[in-house]
Amino acid sequence: MTAYVLRRLFQMALALLGVSIIVFSLIHLVPGDPVRVALGTRFDPDVHAALTKRAGLDRPILVQYFSWLGDAVRGDLGVSFRSGQPVADLLFERLPATITLAVAALFVALLVSVPLGILSAVRSGSKLDYGATAASQVAVSVPDFWAGIMYILLFSLSLRWLPPSGYVSFSDDPVEWLKHLTLPALTIGLISGSILFRFIRSAVLEALHQPYTRTARAKGLTERQVIWSHVMPNAWIPIVTVVGLQLGFLLSGVIVVEVIFAWPGLGRLALLSVQDRDFTVLQGAVLLIAFVFLSVNLIVDLLYGYLDPRVRQK
Amino acid sequence: MLFLAFALVASACSGDDGIDVSDAPADDTGDDDTSDDATGDDDSGDSRSGGVLLAAQGAEPDRLDPHLTSAFASFQVLENVYDTLVQPGADLSMEGALAESWEVSADNLTWTFTMRDGVTWHNGRAFTAADVEYSYNRILDPEAGAANAWRFGSVESVSAVDDTTLEIKVSRPTPNLLVSIGAFKGMAIVPREIVEDGTIDTQPVGTGPFKFVSSSPDQGIVLERNDDYWRADEGLPYLDGVTFTQIPDQTVKLTNLQTGEVDWVDTVPPQQLAGLEGDDSLVVMRVPGGDYHYFALNQNRPPFDNVLVRQAIATAINRGEIAEAAQFGAATANQAAIPAGTFWTYDYSPFPAADTDAAAALLDEAGVTDLTIEFLVSSEFPETVTQAEVIAAQLDAIGVAVEIRDVDFGTWLDVQGSGEFDAFMLSWIGNIDPDDFYYAQHHSDGGFNFQGYNNPDVDELLDAARVETDESARKALYEEAATAIIDDASYIYLYNPENINAWGANVQGYVVRGDNAVRFEETWLDG
Repeated sequence: MTAYVLRRLFQMALALLGVSIIVFSLIHLVPGDPVRVALGTRFDPDVHAALTKRAGLDRPILVQYFSWLGDAVRGDLGVSFRSGQPVADLLFERLPATITLAVAALFVALLVSVPLGILSAVRSGSKLDYGATAASQVAVSVPDFWAGIMYILLFSLSLRWLPPSGYVSFSDDPVEWLKHLTLPALTIGLISGSILFRFIRSAVLEALHQPYTRTARAKGLTERQVIWSHVMPNAWIPIVTVVGLQLGFLLSGVIVVEVIFAWPGLGRLALLSVQDRDFTVLQGAVLLIAFVFLSVNLIVDLLYGYLDPRVRQK
Repeated sequence: MLFLAFALVASACSGDDGIDVSDAPADDTGDDDTSDDATGDDDSGDSRSGGVLLAAQGAEPDRLDPHLTSAFASFQVLENVYDTLVQPGADLSMEGALAESWEVSADNLTWTFTMRDGVTWHNGRAFTAADVEYSYNRILDPEAGAANAWRFGSVESVSAVDDTTLEIKVSRPTPNLLVSIGAFKGMAIVPREIVEDGTIDTQPVGTGPFKFVSSSPDQGIVLERNDDYWRADEGLPYLDGVTFTQIPDQTVKLTNLQTGEVDWVDTVPPQQLAGLEGDDSLVVMRVPGGDYHYFALNQNRPPFDNVLVRQAIATAINRGEIAEAAQFGAATANQAAIPAGTFWTYDYSPFPAADTDAAAALLDEAGVTDLTIEFLVSSEFPETVTQAEVIAAQLDAIGVAVEIRDVDFGTWLDVQGSGEFDAFMLSWIGNIDPDDFYYAQHHSDGGFNFQGYNNPDVDELLDAARVETDESARKALYEEAATAIIDDASYIYLYNPENINAWGANVQGYVVRGDNAVRFEETWLDG
């Protein structure tokens, strides 16, 4: 087990290295000069030269990469060109908002998708099944920015139930925290939930048609016992995989939703750093997102062992 | 001093747009001086202090060092924290701020400023002329990386003679020195200690009406009243504090205002202006602004090196339609750069609007057929994309094809700098002095003459105007230069947009300024 985790951690480090090379190459392939963006449309050429030199942007690209990498492995992600602040500070002050939204959205997604997915599979072909499938189709198809604006116009402007945007931390005011969280969590939670619903429904449906389910029924077990003791234990594995992927996706910062709801998360920071060619921040943000994604995947893989004794024995 | 007043009342903008949003609740919409009755017995006098104003801005300030940032969002905040030596008044003429008075030597090469007495920094230390010397030398030092170093092109030295006297020596007469040091908070006076200990970006310390408290992604930027402000004897500022939050989506920002989550927003989507008419809970104020929108054809690249081709394009377009499509009427079409209503206004419109016959004749004369123009625009300035689409339709009438190249602004700047374009389209903002309107853009040595305009007569006129200290002679020189620039279609000017802010009916004493500076010092909230 320990050896397995260590091997996975080593693979993660390799993957992160690969990600850093790809991001670094891409951002230098795209035209755009961070110094020009910072100085605006009008500037003094001497100032431009001095800033370029100070930021080390006049050095060959490989030198820039390895100097960044050397600092990064020692835990120093550098300083943002745009704001003059340490990259690590910028990332970590935005991490709580991103985690809050991701977890809340996943909560909404699970709340909707697990009961509906199981019921739809068990009563496959019923009105409930058709209704839920159609609703999920609509929810995945509607663009998130449009849905977000509609929720704001309905729940904030017309009904005045919830604030239209912004983020309040839980420690400052739990009630306001929940009010501000509801609409963005609903916007992506319902989309995420629709995707999960379809997976859960098909995973349960597949398990329902397995020989062991027929056997369980033949033994005379009640339908409830069949579902919870035989169908679901087998359906959980594909479900957990997809839930893990969804959580990784939510944690990586849902840029559009963060912009609409003025949510101060990592996605918005990453977007700003792309616009301003703030290389160090973008590198840091992408690495952090990749790290979170890979970690969630590792946790999911470890969960398999818990859910399925066969995996544990291998 | 230099300017006629900008009309500061909303209804003064062009009367044919059918939108009257000037229904400010109190009688303080205009430019009447709210400070003079602060001590009077006006019935609202007692309620003029108190309250924390929640202001929503569309963009995020990048950093809070006024010398290093070039982001408008940063200046919206810093305008209320820092002071400059002089500052534009309501009519945009320069008046004293940290400097109380100034004089120029007979040879026009030495400016002597006398500092205001009793000004203190937010950290309690007394402000002196040495702070100005330090700040200006920081801007002058290329190593410091100040975005506004170019404004000090003619400055040779800055030195504090004593605690209250500052001397600036210039290499040539510089009639626009006051505008250069005062029109813009990028020339703010900062205390040495916060630069040296590195806290200027995280904990700015100024002399302005509000003190910086904190900045965080969840709380926004929090400012509180400066009790020791140098206008405190006038009761200023009235507010207890201002908190800036950042709401990128324009519709959501407006919804926040409509639901009372915020008190003030920095823009209103132009397409929603009409819908806000008659909403008693809001005030929308529009004033003619000093910004201008334009496009420029690459004169280093045939056939745009031919003035007839540029004139054909300038004749074929319909500026009124472009302004209407891009700004929904919140703009005034203009064939020149400087908007109406200022001392420097020059009303010159040689091109007929959308005269396709005349334009086609000019193209014929130039012997140009099958012309395609690639327009460099950026979605980060969505109006430029709309304008390019309208221009494409208009030029289609004379058989000229338009390809729109829409890139992000970082790329846009790069392409503009490399000269690899047919035409670029953008706007210049925040200009007051005509030197800012013309020199860098149209002088053959100008740093921003990316279109490659080269007219020795214009160079000579711009060089002469820059050092001319007689105002009317200076104005005449700029008019002559502008005539050539417009006739040669170095830039093809389109329109001047209005500055628009909106606020809740409880906000009093706020005025949208012609220079778009956001100042809350005379604002208060009705209880």
